[in-house]
Amino acid sequence: MFSTIIEQIVNGIVTGSVYAIVAVGMTMIFGVLRAINFAHGEYYMLGTFGAWFAVDYLGLSYEASIIVGLLSTIVVAYVVGRLVMQRMVGAPAEAGVLATLGIALVLQNTVILVFGGGYKFFSGGYIEPLSVLGFSLAGQRILILVVCLLVFIGLELMVTYSRMGKSMRAVSQNVECCEVVGIDVPKVVLHTFILGAALAALSGVLTAPVNVSVYGGMGELITFKTLPIIIMGGLGNVRGTFFAAMILGIAESLVATYVGLQFRDTVGFATLILMLMWRPYGLFSTQARF
Amino acid sequence: MSLAKAAQQEHRRDLRIPLAAILVVVALAAPFIGSRYVTHSLIIALIFMLPAHGLNLLVGYTGLLSLAQAAFFGIGAYTAGLLAVNYGTPFYMNAAAAGLLAGACALPLGVPALRLRATSFVMCTLGFVIIGQAIAKNWISVTRGDMGLSAIPKPHFALGPLSFTVSGTTSFYYMALAIGALSTLAVWMIVRSPAGRNMIAIRENETLAESLGVPTWRYKLIVFIISAIFAGVGGSLYVHYLTVVSPLTFQMYYSTTMLIIVLGGGAGTISGVVFGSLLFVGLTEALRITPELRMVAYGLCLLVLVFWFKKGFAPVINRFWDTIGGTK
Amino acid sequence: MTGLPILEIKKISKSYGAVKAVNNVSLHVDRGEIAGLIGPNGSGKSTFFDCSTGLQKPDSGTVKLDGQDITGWSLNRIAREGRMLRSFQKTVVFKALDVEENLVIAGQMFTFPSLLSTFGIGRMSKQRISGLRDRARELIKMAGLWDVRHQPAGNLSGGQQKLIQFASMLMPEPKIILLDEPMAGINPKIIERVIETILYANKSLGVSFLVIEHNIDVVTSICQRVVVLDQGRKLVEGLPHDIVQDQRVREAYLGG
Repeated sequence: MFSTIIEQIVNGIVTGSVYAIVAVGMTMIFGVLRAINFAHGEYYMLGTFGAWFAVDYLGLSYEASIIVGLLSTIVVAYVVGRLVMQRMVGAPAEAGVLATLGIALVLQNTVILVFGGGYKFFSGGYIEPLSVLGFSLAGQRILILVVCLLVFIGLELMVTYSRMGKSMRAVSQNVECCEVVGIDVPKVVLHTFILGAALAALSGVLTAPVNVSVYGGMGELITFKTLPIIIMGGLGNVRGTFFAAMILGIAESLVATYVGLQFRDTVGFATLILMLMWRPYGLFSTQARF
Repeated sequence: MSLAKAAQQEHRRDLRIPLAAILVVVALAAPFIGSRYVTHSLIIALIFMLPAHGLNLLVGYTGLLSLAQAAFFGIGAYTAGLLAVNYGTPFYMNAAAAGLLAGACALPLGVPALRLRATSFVMCTLGFVIIGQAIAKNWISVTRGDMGLSAIPKPHFALGPLSFTVSGTTSFYYMALAIGALSTLAVWMIVRSPAGRNMIAIRENETLAESLGVPTWRYKLIVFIISAIFAGVGGSLYVHYLTVVSPLTFQMYYSTTMLIIVLGGGAGTISGVVFGSLLFVGLTEALRITPELRMVAYGLCLLVLVFWFKKGFAPVINRFWDTIGGTK
Repeated sequence: MTGLPILEIKKISKSYGAVKAVNNVSLHVDRGEIAGLIGPNGSGKSTFFDCSTGLQKPDSGTVKLDGQDITGWSLNRIAREGRMLRSFQKTVVFKALDVEENLVIAGQMFTFPSLLSTFGIGRMSKQRISGLRDRARELIKMAGLWDVRHQPAGNLSGGQQKLIQFASMLMPEPKIILLDEPMAGINPKIIERVIETILYANKSLGVSFLVIEHNIDVVTSICQRVVVLDQGRKLVEGLPHDIVQDQRVREAYLGG
């Protein structure tokens, strides 16, 4: 009994890591654009499809397929960023919602039209179980945990030390000031967006061997999972997002085991709505930023 | 559109009567002009026009972007379906109950949601759809879960010894047309009333409206409920037409479709919604475009509407009316 | 009854975290009076205004309007039931709507007794609206906006928009109007006109005023009494003439 709970919590942390890597990009994009990216999960899907295509059609190894998944997503993100996201600087919140909803529809259904709507089987990855501290955990899951930690440490370092990272933080604090000081806001937006999309894709390719099935609608599901996370984390708040993702991951895992699997996908939004009624600004921020 | 313009249009209404008459005749004769499939497409367009009218009051007139419309559409569909299957109640009762229940659900959902600001409000309304779907899937004893409800009877009217079942496509078309016309009239009446003017004031500048004594929060709640009622009635029509309903009625795709109708047709105009339903739902249905291709087109439409074509087709329709009116 | 002040604000305080924006400020406006409220930037004038008109909740203190306690009422209720209206510095008109429409909206909530009645389009409702329209046209004429009455308000100059705002606020026959820097950013010619409008409303319609204003000339020419705020506290109160001479006021403004 007790060990099941621990096992479920560990599973939850792995799921939480998957969400965290996707959500952190989404929350950073919100930071610089003040817009929620409803299409964010689609980059997760694109990354997965890119990797699946590399393995299945090109016969590449899993390691190479990670590169293919990331690169193809970055190319798409660059185009979307130039054509759409940069236009959203200074636009009202509603415009952001509608535009990104539009992108989500286009990306998701184009992929379905090209590859078909059915489920695909992803083969590859490190699915051999390893024994760590008395637990048996697939290598891939450990990889996800490690990558998640590296991503967050890397982001902290980037935001603190690199020029681009500092600009991102500056833009997310005050757009008008940045324009006066001479920071190229559209460029910062584009870079943040590509970084965020690439992280989502990374999460996708890392999760594919665990989830095994690949399908066009998977991005929407991830978007619906990460939306509550970034709001609970306090929009634009990187650390808050990390903790919110972990909490949701663990909560989902426990709900799936002890309440019922069918309720797992509702946990996020149910929590979100309850939270919005109780603390309209998020769990980790007292400031109204949206 | 400014209200003065509307007043001017009213001034030249005489000149547009012939065209309006032709449109009415075409609407009435449609089942005999086009094929059965065209009639079917028109019915689908008319069904979606109802929630779109409601959404237009919310988005177009009051300025509140909501994705919850599919949730109320689904609530209406399930209410009507369950009543018809379990109790065999007649259509008009099911439709009324669907509208009322959707409106009643909108009250407790709207009270907390409307306190949120733009983005959180959108998110919260999206949550309603997702949770609605989860309930439809998991409340198996009532909703039969993923199987959904089937064999829902076609609308049946009985008045004393006379009784009539709306079974064919043609007769259903006339019923949908009548309900569509009534709902359009209802929206027109709401918009023309002082309340409509207050709604526009809220859309234009909430703080200013508030400072002029307009109880903005109560108006928003009322409009949210009205929009849900429209969606609920639309849902009842939908379920009685298709005779089946599944948890997939609660999905983002429907909310997006309704949003496209309103924004594409022209938010804040009634003719825009009518036109938008015909174009974005009726035409795509008639052309038998696959859902995926349709959604790609919707997605591109949204992008175009947001950045380049902000008023949708409304200016085009207005210019056309002006030309017909002989003023230009 | 007539001896009672129309607006009586007692010991209002409001803090943001550790900052006391308004500290124990009391103020009253007599019936038929035009009172002024001045003070350097950041002295708490706007916060005080917001707390008195329901836009923000004061931490403590009471607001009495015409003898009735209205503390904690919302902005719209104060406007609708209390007939105390306020202006904003930036938000002035409904830009997309034409001038006449702006005024009709301003009068609506006072003409239709209940929320439900606003949804009617019957004869009664039409009569009321046409009554409003007549009144709107009268006020438009008075404000000298007749020629532009069918233009979207946003197309007009800043000064004209301020005039529309005044005319709008006169629609519901208010008891008292609170003006937040009515002269900010408009040209001298229109200032004359705004002053005329305020005086007309005060003399002929019996509207009392409380005015925040930076332009000292305007304050001395229209106000009968002036209250000076500094750093969230009431510094001094008196006749405009005396206030201008007051050493403390000068120091406050010059940052002495």
